[in-house]
Amino acid sequence: MTWFEPDDAPWQYVSRTLIYARLITMALWWGIPLIGLIVLGALTSPWVWAGAGALLIAMIWSAWVIVRQVTAHAWAEREDDLVVKRGRILRTVTVVPYGRMQYVEVESGPLARAFGIARVQLHTASPGTDANIAGVPEAEAARLRDRLTSRGEAQLAGL
Amino acid sequence: MTGEPEAADTGALERSVPAARRTVYRAPRDWHRLHPISPLLGGWAVLGVVGSVMLYNYAPSWSGPDEYAVEIAHALTNSIGWFALGAFVILGVTIGFGYLQWRVNQYRLGDEAVHQRKGIVFRQQRQARLDRLQAVDVVQPLLARIFGFAVLRIEVAGGENSGIALEYLRLGDAEAMRNELLALAAGVKRAKAAGEEATVDAVAAQARRPGQAADAGVAYAGEASLRDIAGMPEGEAETPAAPEREVYAVPLSRLALSIVLSGPFLFIVAVPALVGIAVLALPLDLGDILAVTVGASLFTVLPAAFALLGFFWSRVNSGFGFKAALSADGIRLRHGALETRRQTVPPGRVQAVRFHQTLLWRRKDWWRVTINVAGYQDDQENVSTLLPVGSRQDALTALWLVLPDLGDPDPAGTVSTALSGSGDEHGFIPSPKRARLFDPLQWRQRGVRATDRALLIRRGRLSREMFVVPHERTQSLQLQQGVLQRRRGLATFVVHSTNGPVKPVAEHLDVDDALALLDSQAQRAAEGRRRQTPEQWMSAVGIRD
Repeated sequence: MTWFEPDDAPWQYVSRTLIYARLITMALWWGIPLIGLIVLGALTSPWVWAGAGALLIAMIWSAWVIVRQVTAHAWAEREDDLVVKRGRILRTVTVVPYGRMQYVEVESGPLARAFGIARVQLHTASPGTDANIAGVPEAEAARLRDRLTSRGEAQLAGL
Repeated sequence: MTGEPEAADTGALERSVPAARRTVYRAPRDWHRLHPISPLLGGWAVLGVVGSVMLYNYAPSWSGPDEYAVEIAHALTNSIGWFALGAFVILGVTIGFGYLQWRVNQYRLGDEAVHQRKGIVFRQQRQARLDRLQAVDVVQPLLARIFGFAVLRIEVAGGENSGIALEYLRLGDAEAMRNELLALAAGVKRAKAAGEEATVDAVAAQARRPGQAADAGVAYAGEASLRDIAGMPEGEAETPAAPEREVYAVPLSRLALSIVLSGPFLFIVAVPALVGIAVLALPLDLGDILAVTVGASLFTVLPAAFALLGFFWSRVNSGFGFKAALSADGIRLRHGALETRRQTVPPGRVQAVRFHQTLLWRRKDWWRVTINVAGYQDDQENVSTLLPVGSRQDALTALWLVLPDLGDPDPAGTVSTALSGSGDEHGFIPSPKRARLFDPLQWRQRGVRATDRALLIRRGRLSREMFVVPHERTQSLQLQQGVLQRRRGLATFVVHSTNGPVKPVAEHLDVDDALALLDSQAQRAAEGRRRQTPEQWMSAVGIRD
């Protein structure tokens, strides 16, 4: 299926460790109710385990979605703009010109720090610009931020 | 019409001579308080509380007010002395608090920005950079208008609540400060573009140098605002408004008819009509219906009625006496029934334009034009209106105001096709037939076209819509494709603009067209950014050659 391919810069895919980070977050969110259901099933009737089973299936499915999502998440630095693609079910490609970036934000939570990855978020004057690159290796994120900032300054145009 | 600019010129020149002797206003360079009357103008909300207590007290029982509230109201008014005292205390506290706020609310014109500091408990410091100025509005709420005061709102690019509001100044002071800020902002911008020192003092000094002003373009059409103020002793001269030329106005009759031809109005008319038909057609007793209507608590019907009234009110208020004019400072819009608003949007500050025509307006071929201006917020529909209602010709004029050069050999024909055409005529990229699944009605109307200077997006069959985004104003671009769209080989193309009522999007394009559009549009936006200057806008609308 045809989809956007930048012609002058290669896609740079995000770090695979993002998969583990997201899986752990997901497991924490769903795992506690799962354990709760299993305990409840052991105390009352085994029928409750059916619910636990359904939950488990949902977890496996979302794990699969996470893997697919992360492997589809990439960015490309072109001459005038940054291209971010993401998503498998709802695919999006966002093109953000360097001259339009108001500021670049790098953030990483405790889990992301443990895995050595960070999220790079681009801000333009539009609230609609949804351009963030999750799961960039920390060193690369700092380099990316500096590169984006310097390019933004070079090409900055007024609103 | 043609004689007006000259008349304004000479009028301004004549005014500037005695201006030195009149009490005039200039933006203060040191911290300065607002007008001392401000706390009184803001404290009138207390009257609303007193009014609602009275309303509950005298509300007849059939109107079904909240019993608890009635009891409180009775208790309050039974001891009329206590009530009066209470109202007095509340009023006093409000005004006293307002006074304290007024004392700490100060503003000044700095080297590159207007600064404001305010707040008793939470201190706030704000600045509006002149080179980031997006719009300057002079607003007069009813009470302020009666007494000749106004709020000066300075909008800058910078997200939620980033602007500065000076409440209240004398109307004349507010207008003088607006003129001064606009002139300074234009001067700062030019100085920056020329690589010179871009501070307020430098700009004023530049304007003061004789001979320099004429060729450096510091002077506006003929009569220079900055030159005038700079040539006179500080604190004595007033910056005159740049001369303006009225471009279009909305007569009251058209506004009234446009409101009659709106959905909510039809709804109001239709409900009694439907009830009438039901009474005639079915064996219903009119008395029963009346009893039910009156029996339903008035206090529950009222909010719904108020919501409808609110819609009408905002339409009336944003369209009443609407006038659009052109000046060297930018586009001037004025409107308002009780609360009047005079907006000035400097050249090239309009980020996106939307044309809208409901089904009811089609026979008249009326259009409503709204714009995105950075700094104005999403919910302020009435400040983002460029044309509340107008003919196709007016709508084309409105577009010409904000985008004088569409980059097309036949702009009128192209825009007309964009407004009401369909399919691929005039070089539009239409949605393919495969889009019928998502758009059974309007797939033929959907279309996109890029001219040299702007992107046009058309959609809507019953209610028609058209977006115009100048290439250099594109913030970012996005392509979206859901699972169903992928099956059908379609994609949605989104243009991100600044916050505002205009959200341009072209849905369900052919995926190959969308991909090509994304690439070419990114390129055009880059080219547009390289060549944008406000001076081009001025020469294109005939203010400067």
